[in-house]
Amino acid sequence: VVVIDPDRGFTHVLGERFEAQGWLCTAVAKPVSPPALVRLRPSALIVDASALGPCHESYLDEVCARLPMLAVTVCTGPSSVAERVSALRLGVDAWVSKPCHPDELIAVVDATLLGNRPDGLAVVDAPAVRAELTIRAELHQAFVGGKSLELTSREFEILQLLAHADRVLRREEVYERVWGYAMADGDRSVDVFVRRLRQKLKAASPGWTYIDTHFGVGYRFAPAARVAERPRVAAGHSQVVHTSARSL
Amino acid sequence: MGLSQLLAPPGREYFALFEEAGANVLRAAELLDQMLASYPDQGELAAEILDCEHNGDRITHHLIQHLNNTFVTPIDREDIHRLAGALDNIVDYIEEVADYLGLYRVEAPMAQAQQMAKILRESCAEIAAALPLLRGFQDLRRHTIEINRLENEGDRLTREAIAALFNDGIDPMVVIRWKDLYERLEDAIDSTEDVANIMEGIVIKNR
Repeated sequence: VVVIDPDRGFTHVLGERFEAQGWLCTAVAKPVSPPALVRLRPSALIVDASALGPCHESYLDEVCARLPMLAVTVCTGPSSVAERVSALRLGVDAWVSKPCHPDELIAVVDATLLGNRPDGLAVVDAPAVRAELTIRAELHQAFVGGKSLELTSREFEILQLLAHADRVLRREEVYERVWGYAMADGDRSVDVFVRRLRQKLKAASPGWTYIDTHFGVGYRFAPAARVAERPRVAAGHSQVVHTSARSL
Repeated sequence: MGLSQLLAPPGREYFALFEEAGANVLRAAELLDQMLASYPDQGELAAEILDCEHNGDRITHHLIQHLNNTFVTPIDREDIHRLAGALDNIVDYIEEVADYLGLYRVEAPMAQAQQMAKILRESCAEIAAALPLLRGFQDLRRHTIEINRLENEGDRLTREAIAALFNDGIDPMVVIRWKDLYERLEDAIDSTEDVANIMEGIVIKNR
């Protein structure tokens, strides 16, 4: 658990109580940069908005986007309804107003952790069907016509990540989320794994393309029938034409 | 071996062996370039690079054996020994890079390593083109100048590549693997400059 709070007395008590429960707690008075937070690989983040300053919304937005599995709780002083709603819409899991009892905060964090657990998600996530592809998170595998694609763990994580994002994901974002570290300049890991993923997708579902390359940016999951003569139509979406995109 | 063979100028044999070594160096560099460009899809090229390393050892062994068996050499014995060793070093470093990609379980290449392999291949092509010029101690400066330029480019690339590994938040395992591989690639490129310097020295002494 990472706690960002300038109140040292509060973080001391909180830290002791978390550690009594077997959690490793890191308390800091100043904001930890999102890349450094990725490196710490925490399960939960408790943050006092006053420690973040006026840019707290953009900070929370970036943290929630980079670490979707992180349980984020804002524990801060008086706030407006608009502030709380806005933060919760950004992806913050809970908002606790100070003054509060450490046990109350720990109980809220416990509840958010339970909600963010992968097995919790598996119950919520029904198999995602895109074109001929069925992505089954609970089996960590994808299928075409009931036949497994035999994806490796990394290949599946990349597929799931791309399939859940309704936008182009930068290579750096994919690497950070799947590998859990910042991507080194020049690292071709994402390209190599996407290439293998495409090979398996093409072998299992030759009539479709699934992943578009956006040169110099990254990848986008956009299932389309493999018909060279006609403009490609994304499954379940309106016609999509990527002038800068290439598909396999 | 007869007396006439011992005393006869045995230059052709040495030059032929150097040219063979040059072709072998170029072959190894081309294979590494191809391996890194397509990595990890053509991992089997590591075995072919290992064959080049064995071939290089065989050529060096022949050169040394020849040196031990003859009194008269077309160039300084020391230069023959140094040139054979420097050519062998290039292939050794290339083979180490290919082998360590597997040993370190590298999943994917780095763009900088691909660029360095390209520079190494170009430099080895210059060596292979320059070695036949040793026969008549002809001017090979255009090749050595190009090798020096490529070596400078390789130095710059290596430094930038290593510096990039120390950006915030990078997996320490990635740093360990690639710092080592970049340094071996740099050693290989540096060895091409050693070869260029030795060849230049031989021409200057014998013209």
